[in-house]
Amino acid sequence: MWLVYKKELLEILRDKKTLIFSILLPTIIFPVLFFGIGKFTQSKTEEAETKELKVAFVNANAFEGLSTLFTAEKHFKKVTIESDDYKAEILEDNVDFIIEIPEGTSLPSNSRKQEVINLYYKGSSKLDNISSKRVKDIIEAYNNTERLALGARFNLSTDNIKAFNKPIAVENQNFASERERMGEFAGPLIAYILIALAVSGAMYPALELGVGEKERGTLETLLLTPMTKGKIVMAKFGVIFTASFFTVIVTLLSYFIWTYIFTMGGKMVGLDFLSNISGLDLLLVAVLLVPLTSIFASIMLSASIYAKNMKEAQAYMSPIFMLGFMPVIVAFVPGMELDVKTAMIPITNVALAMKDLVKGTVDYTMIMVLLGSTVVIAGALLYFTTQFFKKEKVLFRS
Amino acid sequence: MIEIKGLAKSFAYDKKEAKKKKNKVATDPREGDGVFHAVRDVSFSCDKGKVLGLLGPNGAGKTTTLRMLSTALEPTQGEILINGHDVTKEPRYAQKLIGFLSGKTGLYHRLTVRENVEYFGRMHGLSKQVMDERIDKIFSMLDMHTFAGKRADDLSTGMMQRASIARAVIHDPKVLVFDEPTTGLDVISAKTVLDFIESYKETEMSVIFSTHHLHEVERLCDDVCLIDLGETKFFGSTQEFAAQTASGNLYDAFLNNVNKKEEVA
Repeated sequence: MWLVYKKELLEILRDKKTLIFSILLPTIIFPVLFFGIGKFTQSKTEEAETKELKVAFVNANAFEGLSTLFTAEKHFKKVTIESDDYKAEILEDNVDFIIEIPEGTSLPSNSRKQEVINLYYKGSSKLDNISSKRVKDIIEAYNNTERLALGARFNLSTDNIKAFNKPIAVENQNFASERERMGEFAGPLIAYILIALAVSGAMYPALELGVGEKERGTLETLLLTPMTKGKIVMAKFGVIFTASFFTVIVTLLSYFIWTYIFTMGGKMVGLDFLSNISGLDLLLVAVLLVPLTSIFASIMLSASIYAKNMKEAQAYMSPIFMLGFMPVIVAFVPGMELDVKTAMIPITNVALAMKDLVKGTVDYTMIMVLLGSTVVIAGALLYFTTQFFKKEKVLFRS
Repeated sequence: MIEIKGLAKSFAYDKKEAKKKKNKVATDPREGDGVFHAVRDVSFSCDKGKVLGLLGPNGAGKTTTLRMLSTALEPTQGEILINGHDVTKEPRYAQKLIGFLSGKTGLYHRLTVRENVEYFGRMHGLSKQVMDERIDKIFSMLDMHTFAGKRADDLSTGMMQRASIARAVIHDPKVLVFDEPTTGLDVISAKTVLDFIESYKETEMSVIFSTHHLHEVERLCDDVCLIDLGETKFFGSTQEFAAQTASGNLYDAFLNNVNKKEEVA
């Protein structure tokens, strides 16, 4: 069996497509893309935060000091507009923001009522939102000053004003850790990515070692050797499993290495919680992937062996891919927790367990239950695959 | 010695095929209720040192017969004996003795020629020393040393066929089963295969050789077995086969035997 395993592995490693899909893409291209996009987004955000914004005022004198607040801030330029066509002024890029204080408006601290001013701008992208937030933040600062002035008019203390502003303030005392809160979102996402990698890592070798051998005419010669069909199929399964598991592990390792490189050993914002995941939990994530990867390896090998040709095999792979992800999506549903019942649902159980492992709320008993059920399913599927491989009508299907 | 007696093989139709056949009148006597009797009654034998030509039109049942002989398929009925051992009961024994090659069998493209041959040698349990000796002998015989280190996907058709022969005989088989080995080959590549088979005539090896090319039969075969509609229509020496017609040539003899099919159908 090891003879077939080693040969199949050697062939897979010599295949450029496998190297690209299983090693190059997850280890270099995906991380570079991932971090590259991150860096690009970060630089664009910084650019939007420091971009000089041209702000024009209409009837600025009505709100004394507002325009001064803008000129006092960095990266704002006060400009004047020549026409009343605000839209044209903005679209022609003469100005970014126009703050119009309507005629007859006076300061709320004088009028003792809410006043309305107009803010004109063109905002369609997230970067535009950053710019408009910068403007609104300054207006809010002016609002605060005016609130205090208004309060003073009514002889209100700062506390009175606060009470008017927000009669009841809630101070959150959430006992959930940062890891739990981030894990709730990141857990299923990590499970999704790992399962996607496991599936894609199994797909190409499965096609190569099943229908690929049929098409090349090497399967028949292999079957005529004294090696039993059971051993041949186990070796093929072993290679698919190795390739799939290797893809996942290599991707994970490369991700951590690239994170270190891109942050020069510093922490990645938003990913600090990952550092709280223990070695045991990480090991359990890897252990959970073993039966899961076996399930996909068995299903894909069976489909590949059954197919008459590569085209037919590829047609089978798409639904397998889709069906494989349905149970993962279930794990995203709010309220779905790992319990005795969900621990029996293949794939969903692994996704839920991964979520709990990332959150740090895992019940290790449930992990044992799900491992038990997943191993049974993986074993049953592997048995089915070996029996399937022994069928003449499958091997010589035409 | 190979003996095949009353061999039969049926395949069950899949549901789709069965449904299609249900409302149609059978045009082929091999079409049964839900099954296709690809081979119905095939018998022949091949002594040591003899080359047997397996003839028959397309779809006659030649490949199915050879697949049963080489243990890839299990017979529905009948007996296949190699040196008195039942192939169905002792498939491992048969697999060690048989070398199989067809026009469709391929090589592992990402392995070199030597790696391909070595792989099959190891599968047959050859030791390194025996394997090296065998490889040296076969590669010299087939003039393969120049491209032994080339990957199979870089080979010409002729080189590929020589490598396939080497792969088929690395374990020193006592029975060679060639299923249309010259199909799709150019004249030079086909000659390599035929020369190789001819070289084995001097040995103790039994060669079963399926082909559509009657000149190859004339050149190589001691005996002929003609199969049509899954049944043996003729089995005897090549001379007897040719002598069946007034012209005494294999071409007429073939047509004469195959034409009987029309009467049967």
